[in-house]
This record gives sequence, structure tokens and C-alpha cells, in this order.
Amino acid sequence: MKTGNEQRDTLAAPAGRRDWLAGGWALFWENPIGKIGLILMACFALMAAASFVPPLLDPMYHPMHGVDPEISHATGPSAAHWLGTDFIGRDILSQLLAGARIAFMVGLSAAFMSIFFGTLIGMISGYAGRFVDTLLMRIADMVMVMPTLLVVLILSSLFGQLRIWTIVLLIALFRWPGVSRVIRAQTLTLKHRPFIEAARVTGASHLRIIFRHIFPNVLPLALLYMTFRVTSAIIIEAALAFLGFGDPGTVSWGMMLQWVWKTGHMFQAPYWLLPPGICISLLTLSFYMLGRAMEEVLDPRLRKEGESE
Amino acid sequence: MALLEAEHLSIGYRTRNGLLRAVEDVSFSLELGGSLGFVGESGCGKTTIGMALMGLLPANGSIVSGALRFKGQNLVGISDERLRKLRWKEIAMIFQAAMNALNPIQRVGDQIVEAIRLHEPEVSAAQAAERVRSLFSLVDLDPERSRDYPHQYSGGMKQRAIIAMALACRPDVIIADEPTTALDVIVQAQILAEIRRVQKEMDVAVLFISHDIAVVAEVCRHIAVMYAGQIVEQGTREEVFETPAHPYTQALLDAYLTIEEEDAALPQAMKGETPNLIVPQKGCRFYDRCPHADAQCRQEPPTWISLSPTHKVLCYGPRS
Amino acid sequence: MEIRRYILGRLFQITLIFFVILTVLFLLFRLAPGDPVSRMVDPNMTPEDAQRLIEQLGLDLPMWQQYLIYLKNFLKGRFGISFHYGQPVSEIILNRLPNTILLFTSSIVLAAFVGVFLGKIVSWKKGERIDTWVTIGALVCHTLFLPWLALIIIWVFAYWIGWFPLTGMISAEIWTDPSAGLLRKGLDIAHHMALPLTTLFLIHFGSYLLVMRSSMLDTLREDYILTARAKGLDEATIRNRHAAPNAALPVITSVGLSLAFSINGGALTETVFTWPGLGRELVFAVSNNDYPLAQASFLLIAAVVLTANLVVDLIYAYLDPRIRY
Repeated sequence: MKTGNEQRDTLAAPAGRRDWLAGGWALFWENPIGKIGLILMACFALMAAASFVPPLLDPMYHPMHGVDPEISHATGPSAAHWLGTDFIGRDILSQLLAGARIAFMVGLSAAFMSIFFGTLIGMISGYAGRFVDTLLMRIADMVMVMPTLLVVLILSSLFGQLRIWTIVLLIALFRWPGVSRVIRAQTLTLKHRPFIEAARVTGASHLRIIFRHIFPNVLPLALLYMTFRVTSAIIIEAALAFLGFGDPGTVSWGMMLQWVWKTGHMFQAPYWLLPPGICISLLTLSFYMLGRAMEEVLDPRLRKEGESE
Repeated sequence: MALLEAEHLSIGYRTRNGLLRAVEDVSFSLELGGSLGFVGESGCGKTTIGMALMGLLPANGSIVSGALRFKGQNLVGISDERLRKLRWKEIAMIFQAAMNALNPIQRVGDQIVEAIRLHEPEVSAAQAAERVRSLFSLVDLDPERSRDYPHQYSGGMKQRAIIAMALACRPDVIIADEPTTALDVIVQAQILAEIRRVQKEMDVAVLFISHDIAVVAEVCRHIAVMYAGQIVEQGTREEVFETPAHPYTQALLDAYLTIEEEDAALPQAMKGETPNLIVPQKGCRFYDRCPHADAQCRQEPPTWISLSPTHKVLCYGPRS
Repeated sequence: MEIRRYILGRLFQITLIFFVILTVLFLLFRLAPGDPVSRMVDPNMTPEDAQRLIEQLGLDLPMWQQYLIYLKNFLKGRFGISFHYGQPVSEIILNRLPNTILLFTSSIVLAAFVGVFLGKIVSWKKGERIDTWVTIGALVCHTLFLPWLALIIIWVFAYWIGWFPLTGMISAEIWTDPSAGLLRKGLDIAHHMALPLTTLFLIHFGSYLLVMRSSMLDTLREDYILTARAKGLDEATIRNRHAAPNAALPVITSVGLSLAFSINGGALTETVFTWPGLGRELVFAVSNNDYPLAQASFLLIAAVVLTANLVVDLIYAYLDPRIRY
């Protein structure tokens, strides 16, 4: 509506970049969703940091190999084991803390890689145009319809037990198309802006234009997308572990759920069943909330696709 | 009695930084079958006036003071229900051509039928469809095209359809807000001619809003020049064009003439920023950009000076 | 006609994607470390049976010939013999297909309708308390970890309260009872389906609701909504006749984009509830190194996702005249 624009123009005129950042932060913090998300995430970060402590106190608190010598079956919460133990006497709280570390590691690194691929491909596609664009976007369409979890499942059946970093890489390799489409759209609008044209006229190379001029302008959008990718990476890794195809050398929340499910303790040991599921759900929720709040700050109209991945 | 009359109308928007007074102390009137044009650059409040007339100010906007009378009835503070009945039936609107004012997933004809049957429930669907066909002929559109969707129309056709829609309930006033902006020159001329013809044929009053003084002059007998939320000069087309009194009007006309002469240089007065409408200014709002400003202009706001019974100006020392 | 070109274009694209998947899968199964023959032929088979199968699949021929035979076999529906079941794979997966389609389709359709409906209502109350709570509720539903949600639902409704069967799709005693009518059998399936359906519904409807809500808020800023208001329409009509049909279009797009995500969820749900569908079969086959079954289930799942994509595109084209004309 025109009246709205008139107003915005008069208001936005004097704002510099720092004011914009401060204003963005204020807008973010004002939003209960952003606030809750950030607080939740801080709690999980604290958990991940605390995961190094229990094994130092006593080797029996080691999440994977530590076994309470007096316990050989699942027990409920006690003074020595605040959240109880699993079926061979390992401490559930230690496992939960270690799981937070794994979740952050998997989520952030997979998201970072997929954003890296997605941004790169999106910028190249949008900037190069024509044949390259068509080709890359067709590939993106193709990868987009692939159910990542099932693809990784098939690969693990062919290549045997996958290591955690392989899983991370695979998730990243199948999760870039959504990002690249958005970045491509953004690049297309940037491509014909005067400052890009000016750079081209003054003889800047394509690489320089892409990385010096286009990249800084699509970066906020890429970061926004990263929060959503963290969510999907954590979920995929957890689901994979839950189905029994995780890295057997790591203790992740999905793995804990797999143990409680496969050993038939799901109806007997709520103290074991509840924590990992709540943690996965809340951590993904916190990243999702963070993303949505960031999105409202940036521009809700920038992003239309890939809402529910 | 005037058909439409505004008295000391002020409209504000509540914003993060305070109340933005988009329209300040504006008075004008429009006779039955008459035509009044508002000219000014974007942000001067002309669109806000149009929206206020329709009762369509955004949620943070409201009429702060003054009266807005339609056929003697004050529209300020009237119930939503009564305002809804008035809309389109009495006051219709032609939106900016650049806007997608037509619902993309409904047939154009159906959107007009909807307006007709809303205000005249006694009209049958078949009669309404028949009326749409005759409206289409009136605005030089093929009646067969009423079954099309908006995306199948060209820009000019959409604008004609919107004019047809505005006429559907035979309103007394049509507000036309930049109806030709974003159309190419030839189509623009056609649409303006259409509006003029329709106005004469149906004897409807037109309130025309544009940033382009030449366009306004083509359609309207009276012109009001707006600057920063105020009307600064008002008069008949001839008076404003031949003896512009306000420096801003002169600047607008200069700009128009220089464009005609294909000289891109902006006249002196057009440089500078429009004032901030949140922090009230002490003196004349045009002070910063006025080539003739003096100490008095800075201290006190100017008052109206009548130059003829129809021509007046808001300035200390109108120069001709 | 535009619409026919659009459908043909999409059909071609989807066929091409499927063909690429088919080819990649072939290469993966032949080039992965280990012996390709042992991946397609059950090591426990008699040497004669094994030889026959090797010949049928062309495993002793050069790669490109194998590929042609692979394509031919695919067209004829020959995927080899399942290691675990000892039956032709095609029989097994065709038997599982309807179960997957039933659960997948009903959960998505239900979630989309409820999401659109609630999203519309909530958008109208933007900023009010109900908006905040429903939005947070939808966010929570959307980010719940599906297998865990499934376990909790089983625990509460099947184990603890005991309203629904723990797992499976049918009760043997009803289906072996010759006097049982169609209605009784149908109700039996519905009874078994209630919990997996609820699980998938909860996971999906939140995201559709959020898309609808933000799409409604965008749509309400559109110019034609202003026109509708200027026409004097009341708010309910503007919302239901002008805003909602336009706002629902992005929801359909989002359903299409999230189909791959949905089928992941479907496989997890099937596995936890032991619902005899393709997803569960795939997980089972992978766990048991039943390669022929894994390969075929994956292909069929990909086909389901692609077909669903096409259906979503058709629905979109039907609802949006800008594509139809």
C-alpha cells in the first residue's frame, strides 16, 4: 500500500549500517520467538560444554564405555545417576550431555557445508545465467525431491557402517538445493544493480564480482538458511541413528532412543525414553525459532520456498 | 452544498518514532460533477487523503482532527458498517495502474458482479453480468473478455476494467489515485481521455491524485498543490497554470516545462529534502527549498492569501 | 493449449528425474566395494538357481549390457529375488505399495486441510494471544522428533490407555474370520491406522499452518485486498473469498517441496508402528542386507514421491488460472 511506503521512506532515510544492526537486534529480541529460541540454544550449548565434566569425575560416567560396576540393568534416577542408567549400567545424564555435543557438531557442520555448497551454486547459477543456470537448477530440482534419510540409508547398505563425518557430508550434499534457489533469486536481483554494473565496467573479474560484491549481499540470507539446515541435519542424523545406522562410535540422542527402543525398555523406562526425545525436539525447535525470528528481521518476503524441510 | 467537503482535516500515522502527521489542516470541496486534482511529490499526503475518503487508512493511521463531509454527512467517526455501505456505491476508487488491483484468481467480470450484487442485492446474477458487458463496452473493452482472468489483460486493459468496476454502482465520486502511472504514454493518453469522457457522460465527480501536474491539468478543472502534508496552493486550472503563486507550484511547472524542452536540469527549488513530518516545524514547511525564503518564513507558518475568489496560496509573499 | 504443455513438461521432467535415479542406483549397486553378484544373488541359493538368476540379470555380461538388461527388467517389473523372503521382490513391494499410499496420502491431505483452515483463522488474529500460542504450538509440532513422538503416542494411547493396537495394520483374527464383512475389516484397518496417522498429521500440519499464516499475512497486504475493501465487502468475505484462496497456493507449493521430507517421516512412522509399507520394507531390507529388496523399495518410493509431486502440480494448476490459461 502506498501510504505505508511513504511512511517507511521517511523513516528509513537516516539509518546507517550500525543503526540497522542495532535496530535488527532490537526487533529480534522483541520477538518472543527469537528470545525463547536463543535462550533454549544457550542451555543446550551449556550442556554440550558440560559434557566434558562427568567422565573426569569418574570413568563410570563415560557416556560410551563407562559402566557402573554395581548395575547391570536399566535403573531409575538415583543419587549417583541423576537420570538413571541404561540396560548395561551406563549413566544416562552423561550420554545426554555427550549427545548435545554431537548434535551441535553434526547440525552446525552439516548446515555450514550445505550452505557453502548452496550459496556457491546459487551465486554461480544466478550470475552465469543461461546454460549453466539451467543445468544447475535442474540438478537442484533433482536432488530436492530425494528423501535424504532414505538415500543415506541405501548408501549405508552399500558402503557399510558410515562414520559420523561421512553422514555429515552426505546430509550436506543432499541439502543444498533449497538454499541455492533462494541465493540464485537474490543474485539475479543483484546482478543488474548499478554497483555490479559499475564493477563490471571497471574490469573486475567474474570471481571478484561474485565474491567481493555479490557474496556480502547474499550472506545474511545464507546465514538465515543455515539455521533451518541445522534443524534438518540434526533430525536426519538422529533418525538415522534411531534406525540403527548411526556411527557406532558416538553417543547421539538418536542412538539413545535406538537403545531404549530396541532393548524393549520403552514402556518400562520413561526416565530413559523421555530425555533424548525432548532434547532433540527442543534443540531443533530452538534453531527453528531463531531462524524465524531472524527472518522477520531480514525480510519475510525474501524466502518463500523450502519452509518445511 | 458541496458534494464532498474537507474542513481542517489532519491525518496522522502512529509510528515507532512518534505521530507522523501526513496531512495537516487541509480544506477543499468538490461539487457534483466537478473535478479536483491533487498534485505533489510522493510522501506529500495526497494518497492518504484518498484513503481517508474511502475509510481505508491503514491500522496505524487515523483522522486526528477536522471534518470530512459527504453530502453533508460527516464521515469522521461514522460506524464501519455504514461506511462499508457507502463505499463503491457512493465513492468508488480507481487504483494506481501499477498495482495489481484485480484478484488474480477470479474472473474480471465476476469481480465486478460481486461489487454490483453487494450493493444492489435485488439485481440478479444475469442482470449484473449484462451490466458488466455494457460497462465493458463503455470503456472500450470487448465484453467477451469479461470471462478472462486479469493476467490475460494488458496493463491498459486492466486499467479500463478497473474504471468499469469503479462505475459499476454509478457512484457520485470517483477517486483516481495515479491511474496512469506506469502505463506507457499512448495508453496513458487513452486512459485519461476515457476518464474525461466517462466523467462527462455519467456526470460523476472526480478527485484525481497524481504527481504529474500535466496529467492532472488534463482531467481537472480545479487543482490543489500539496507539499509536506499541506495544500499550498489551490485554484482553477487556468489560475494555477498561468499565475502560479507558490514557489513550489512554480518549481513544479518549471520542472514540467523543462522536461518538455528535454532539459534535464532540475530547477533551483527542487533541490533538498522534504521536511520530517514527525517533528513539527516552526515556520514554513517549504523553507529549506524555497529560493525566496527570508527570516520571517523561518519563524512563523504562513497564512492563506486569497488572490481571487477561487485562487489562494499559503505563502508570505506570493510572487508571480 | 497452455495447460497441456505444462503437464507434458512436468511429466517429461519427472520421467527424466526418475531415469537418472534409476541409472545412479544401477551404478551404485555395481560399483560399490564388494562383489556385485553377491549383492543381487542370495548366497544361500542353490548353485543352479543362482546361475539362472545371474543369467536373468546379466551379471556375467559387460557393464553396458547389464545396464540395458537392468532397464528391460525394470520395465518388466523384475527386480530379482528377496534374500529374506525368498520371493520375487516385485510381489513384495507391490503388496506394500497401497499401504504406503494410504497412510502417506491421508496424512498429508488431512494435515494440509487442517493447516490451511487453522492458519487462516490465526492470521486474522495476528498479535493476539491465540495467535502466539497456536504459532508456538505449530512450531513445536513441526520440530518434534518423529520417531520419539511415535514411541510416546504408542506408549500413551496403545500401552497405557490401551485404546489402539500397539502395532501392525490388521488383526489376524478378523481377517481370518470368514464371516467378517468389508466394513469390519475397514474399521479394523482404521483402528490400526489411527495412531500412525496421528503421528504424521501432527508432524505435518504445523508447518502447513505456519506457511498458510504467513502467506495470509502477505496476501492481506496485496492490492486486490484493498480493492475488495474499497468495494465495501465485509471482512469475512474478504478473508474467505479473496485472501484465503490466494494464500492457499503457497501452501500447495510447500506441500510439494516437503514431499521428500514427508516420505522420510513416513518411513520412520511405518517402522515404529510396523506398518507394512514400503518405507518399513526399505529399512528392514537395509538392516538385513537384502539388497534386491532395498533397491526396489527405494525405486518405488522415489516413484511415489515423484508421482505425488506431479499430483501436487496438477492441483496447483487447477487452482491457479495463471497456469491454467
